[in-house]
Amino acid sequence: MRKQVCEGISLASLSIYAGGYGSGKTEVALNFALEKAAGAGEVVLADLDFVNPYFVSREVKADIEQKGIKLIAPSGEFFLGDVPNVPAEIIGFLRQDNDMLLDLAGDEIGALMLGYLSRYVALRPNYDLYLVLNPYRPFAMDLHSIKELKVLLEDTANLKFTGIISNPNLVEETDIDVIRKGHQKVLSFAKSFGIPVKYLTVEERFYDQLFPEYRAMLKKLKLYLRPDWLQ
Amino acid sequence: MDKVLMKGNEALAEGAVRAGCRAYFGYPITPSSEIAEYMARKYPKIGGTFLQAESELAAINMVYGAAAAGARVMTASSGPGISLKQEGISFLAEAELPCVIVNISRGGPGLGGIQPAQSDYFQATRGGGHGDYHIMVLAPAGVQEMMDLAIEAFELADKYRIPVMIMAEGTLGQMMEPVVLREQVAEFYNKPWATTGCKNRKPNIINTLHLSPDVLEQRNVHLQNKYINIKLREKRAETYMTEDADIVVVAFGIMARVARKSIMEVRKQGVKVGLIRPITLWPFPDDVVEKVSDTAKIFLSLEISMGQMVEDIKLAVNGRRPVDFYGRIGITPNPEEVSKRLLMLAAEEGLR
Repeated sequence: MRKQVCEGISLASLSIYAGGYGSGKTEVALNFALEKAAGAGEVVLADLDFVNPYFVSREVKADIEQKGIKLIAPSGEFFLGDVPNVPAEIIGFLRQDNDMLLDLAGDEIGALMLGYLSRYVALRPNYDLYLVLNPYRPFAMDLHSIKELKVLLEDTANLKFTGIISNPNLVEETDIDVIRKGHQKVLSFAKSFGIPVKYLTVEERFYDQLFPEYRAMLKKLKLYLRPDWLQ
Repeated sequence: MDKVLMKGNEALAEGAVRAGCRAYFGYPITPSSEIAEYMARKYPKIGGTFLQAESELAAINMVYGAAAAGARVMTASSGPGISLKQEGISFLAEAELPCVIVNISRGGPGLGGIQPAQSDYFQATRGGGHGDYHIMVLAPAGVQEMMDLAIEAFELADKYRIPVMIMAEGTLGQMMEPVVLREQVAEFYNKPWATTGCKNRKPNIINTLHLSPDVLEQRNVHLQNKYINIKLREKRAETYMTEDADIVVVAFGIMARVARKSIMEVRKQGVKVGLIRPITLWPFPDDVVEKVSDTAKIFLSLEISMGQMVEDIKLAVNGRRPVDFYGRIGITPNPEEVSKRLLMLAAEEGLR
């Protein structure tokens, strides 16, 4: 039987990924979940993108389940639906002592789901709520827009951000310069919010070159949902 | 120039804005909704009318009104919503009202699914409503083209006084690629026919009812002449390695992207394959297909449908070469399965 979260020391973790449409939340969540799963224990990843079923974690359900991730996502008939279908078991999982990641849909619509779950999130011994930012996306390019997004997401989610994940990229057209310039921008946004940038995420091909510069905050991403005919 | 990472739907909407479109009427449906969302977010900042109508029927008739008043106007939807708009599109075509209609297409028939498809090809290219008419249909294959063809669509619409449809698969609407933001369009067509408030001129009347058989026939002849003119001037296609190709794939939209990947792979195995990518689905670039049929041995129509464009290819080839078909629905064929099909075809035809 699984343990319920209660008093005492817990090693449980909960990471929540929120942000604008197309900021890279799903790829980041997938990579972080796989990294955790390669470590130890069961990892639970909740795909809460009910806005539409394009480029979502449930596309790679079989692959990631094989690697030790329990995926919670709309199932059965609604697997590829676009209705607000909240997987029933999510609350049960949130009340357990586990490693859990929540991947929300974009914008305040996506954060609505977190608003609903926030009372269960608050009961966890600790959690990280990340704002994923790609400063090359429209509506994420200037401080004013990001501020608007941050306030809207926090109000809707009923929780405050604890960290920022900097994910500066132009997909196939990314180069080192694009990453550095974009990351600088994210750092300046973070400074004005007083929220720390916890990670800088880059595609695998840039990792070795950038590691000496960014060290522990640098995380490599493998893109799982990008169609191979685009690469 | 700095690039922006955009979804196809966003790039298309931004293209419309840059083309001077300041009126959008629609009703949301997956996978096209981001176009409406983008306009709803953008217009309060730059000025413009965004209206979420009570239905697709209302939206298309609002397009009629705005176009009649001379505005650059757009609506967007997906399969079932586009079906609902057909009556209005027939009216727009007859009234010769320029406008842009976007179909971010998904699988049918009926409610179908929300995965990408190209099965609205017949509806788009044959004139999906009643009467003898056509609209122009453009098929982008990348996110940059979503922006570029959106701008082009408004130009063509005004130039020929015709509704122009952009048809792009759900995947193209949802996927992201870096784009260069184009310049704002600064010069616009005069619209002396528009109902702009009658002062010191004869009234402009926009009407589609012609009870006199003679007048009705004249209207139809006029429209047909316009379509002939468009066919002469506006057929567009892109070719890739067709010069020495034995097998020529014909594919539009994202299928052309998949096909390119397969062609590179199959060529490594000694099979000469090329690609024709129609950019205008109507008018269909039959001239390009016809020319390539001088040298090609066989054509393969590759579609996310059960076989629709294949008919236009057969008409263009006119029996000179065999035309094969491969398609799926609900699932986009991947490069591996397309390569497999091409290799099989090459083996059957003795081309390797």
